[in-house]
Amino acid sequence: MTSRRYVARSKAIAARKLGEEPMVMSATDSTLFTLDEVASVIWAAADGVTPLDEIVEKKICALYDVSPEVALKDAEALIENLAEHGLLLLSDEPLVEASVSQGETR
Amino acid sequence: MPVVTAAARSTGVVVEIGGLPIRLRCDDPNFLRQIEERYAGYISSANDARFEFEIELSPQSAGPRDEDVSVTWDSGHWLMTRGDFRAEWNPSTARGRVRQTVNPYSLDCVLRIVHTLLLAREGGFLLHASSAIRNGRAFLFSGVSGAGKTTIASLAPPDAALLTDEISYVIPSDGRFDAVGTPFYGELARPGLNLRAPIEALYLLAKGPENKIEEIGSADAVRGLLGNILFFARDPEFVNLVFNTAFDFVGRVPVRRLTFVPNASVWELIV
Amino acid sequence: MSNLGAEMAAKALKLNIPISVQLDVTYRCNERCVHCYLDHDDHGEMTTAEIRSLLDQLADAGVFYLTISGGEILMRRDFFEILEHARARTFCIKLKTNGVLIREKEARRIRELGVETIQISIYSHRPEVHDAITKMPGSLRQSINAVRFLRGQGLHVTLANVLMLENAADYKGVRALAAELGVKCTLDPTVTPMMDGDRSILKLNVDQTALREVFRNQELVGNVEEFCAPPPGVDEDALDSLPCSAGHTACYVSPYGDVYPCVQFPLPTGNVRQTKFLDIWRYSPQLNEVRSITLRDMPSCSKCAHGATCTRCPGLAYLEGNMRGPSSQDCEKSYARKGIPSENYKARHVLPQSLNSVQLVQIQGLRPAMGNIPAEAAKADVVVGA
Repeated sequence: MTSRRYVARSKAIAARKLGEEPMVMSATDSTLFTLDEVASVIWAAADGVTPLDEIVEKKICALYDVSPEVALKDAEALIENLAEHGLLLLSDEPLVEASVSQGETR
Repeated sequence: MPVVTAAARSTGVVVEIGGLPIRLRCDDPNFLRQIEERYAGYISSANDARFEFEIELSPQSAGPRDEDVSVTWDSGHWLMTRGDFRAEWNPSTARGRVRQTVNPYSLDCVLRIVHTLLLAREGGFLLHASSAIRNGRAFLFSGVSGAGKTTIASLAPPDAALLTDEISYVIPSDGRFDAVGTPFYGELARPGLNLRAPIEALYLLAKGPENKIEEIGSADAVRGLLGNILFFARDPEFVNLVFNTAFDFVGRVPVRRLTFVPNASVWELIV
Repeated sequence: MSNLGAEMAAKALKLNIPISVQLDVTYRCNERCVHCYLDHDDHGEMTTAEIRSLLDQLADAGVFYLTISGGEILMRRDFFEILEHARARTFCIKLKTNGVLIREKEARRIRELGVETIQISIYSHRPEVHDAITKMPGSLRQSINAVRFLRGQGLHVTLANVLMLENAADYKGVRALAAELGVKCTLDPTVTPMMDGDRSILKLNVDQTALREVFRNQELVGNVEEFCAPPPGVDEDALDSLPCSAGHTACYVSPYGDVYPCVQFPLPTGNVRQTKFLDIWRYSPQLNEVRSITLRDMPSCSKCAHGATCTRCPGLAYLEGNMRGPSSQDCEKSYARKGIPSENYKARHVLPQSLNSVQLVQIQGLRPAMGNIPAEAAKADVVVGA
């Protein structure tokens, strides 16, 4: 059984909603991202202590008609991409609160 | 800087433009102070003000902004709205109210509309024009954005008293027309001097390779004038009043075309 | 800018959102650069509280890109407090500084606060030239040290250079220095007028020959053929084009709270000490007038061969007296690029081919309302704009 994955928004990211669409950028990487609905949900839920599979099950599958397996696979691809560009921290253990940013997207 | 006392809080602030005093009341003394600063030079200590507005301040509007102002007549009162304010004006009681956020633009717009409505009945109007007084007579320079109103105002010599670079105020007086200073400004970013003088001429602006003044026919004059009069409402009675005033004005005041090169030499022609 | 960046900018334009703001937090400076356009006296800068409130308003208005500049930003005692608040409001932060006051400790803090880019002003690779421009002995050494400290923290740094008579021979040296330090480099080919309208510093600008050389340097302009190709002229689409983002998706706030379309376009449109930023942005009549201007509304430029390829800065046009008029400094640059003189350029110069007099036309300032604008000496015909 695979270990659970934890995701947390990085500190020191730039974020702003443009209309309804959140824009995010990491200072270290400078690649601009916009987050679609699903990505926004995951982003907002990335508190470092809720495991990814739980986020997907409770937030994504509840809203969208998609199987947990497919949703999780897509979510993992998304978080890998965001992590690669410095926007998310990934871990097999829950992440300490101090390293998690507020990640404002209001 | 004027101090708003407790008494003033209840009596408000009177802003007088073109000899028409409007009392502005508001519960927020800070806003009254801002009004006094904004309209410095046009604040009257008169106890009697025929017209009154109650200003109600609301917090930042979160809704979509709408930059176009709408003015409609509805059972006895004028209704004026834009993204940042909503106002009502009752001409028979000479009372109105404005609901706006704390900003200087709303009241500015409301005042321009109200003065336009008041002037219409008196045979006067507001005009997209800069104006200045030289040798005791007023000269108006009219045109749309970019025509050169502000340019020609900024080139004015020291002996010309600037009334406005953007919105001129025209009042009939003893068979002639006077221009009065206004606090309404454009690019020049400062209010005009609160002075009054009979209008010597209205110049319709054009840019060209040389400075020259040309006589134009009265049809062109009326057309040029009407194109620049501030017009808010499509009310037929109001439109009729404005048309009559425009014809009256052209009959009494020379209207000419002024082509000019943007340097100070143009003012040699304005005597 | 990436495609996504351009897409977001287009969306911001449609929604009338100021996605990008430059905030100058002070005009005080520890240097006195000969080409600087500012009055360095403190006439009552915004307080820490005022700036924090402004940052909140900017964030709420949708501002994403925040450039903090001045003056010298590190001269503000509360600089890191300001930066912390900017971080808390999740701006994408860019700093412009001379770096003289940045050492290890400051660099570390800047990295902790997640600044995206730091721009350091470097005018020459030679200390005698750089220090003579900044009028601060030792400043080049300290600025280069700052670059090293910042790079040591893994931060993105850009060297920002301005081309002028004093350093015309050194811009390649600065590029080499940048390569050595592992950082990017930019070159602004124009010295611009002072914010109060004083045009005397324009005499520092390089001449056409130097400009032409710069514009044919592939490292600086990319594809030289494309950059210097004859302009396509003006078609319907071009006529509807906007001059730049100033007033549309970007604006500027001074240390005194004045809102301008751009630092180089000091048209007063409102002051945040009196009016909420968003109200100014949405309802200022002056800002709305700027927004209404397209190429079609520019009598001279709408008929010019350079049309939409010109780098015409509306702020420089404003400082010349007419925000719908030409920017003579950009006419100079377009001529240096393409070899085709605009009508405005022709009106201001008698070209070498002329058989008759070689007397150059005097250039008169057009805005007496803005204070003393001396007529430029006939020699200083090459006034180049940013």
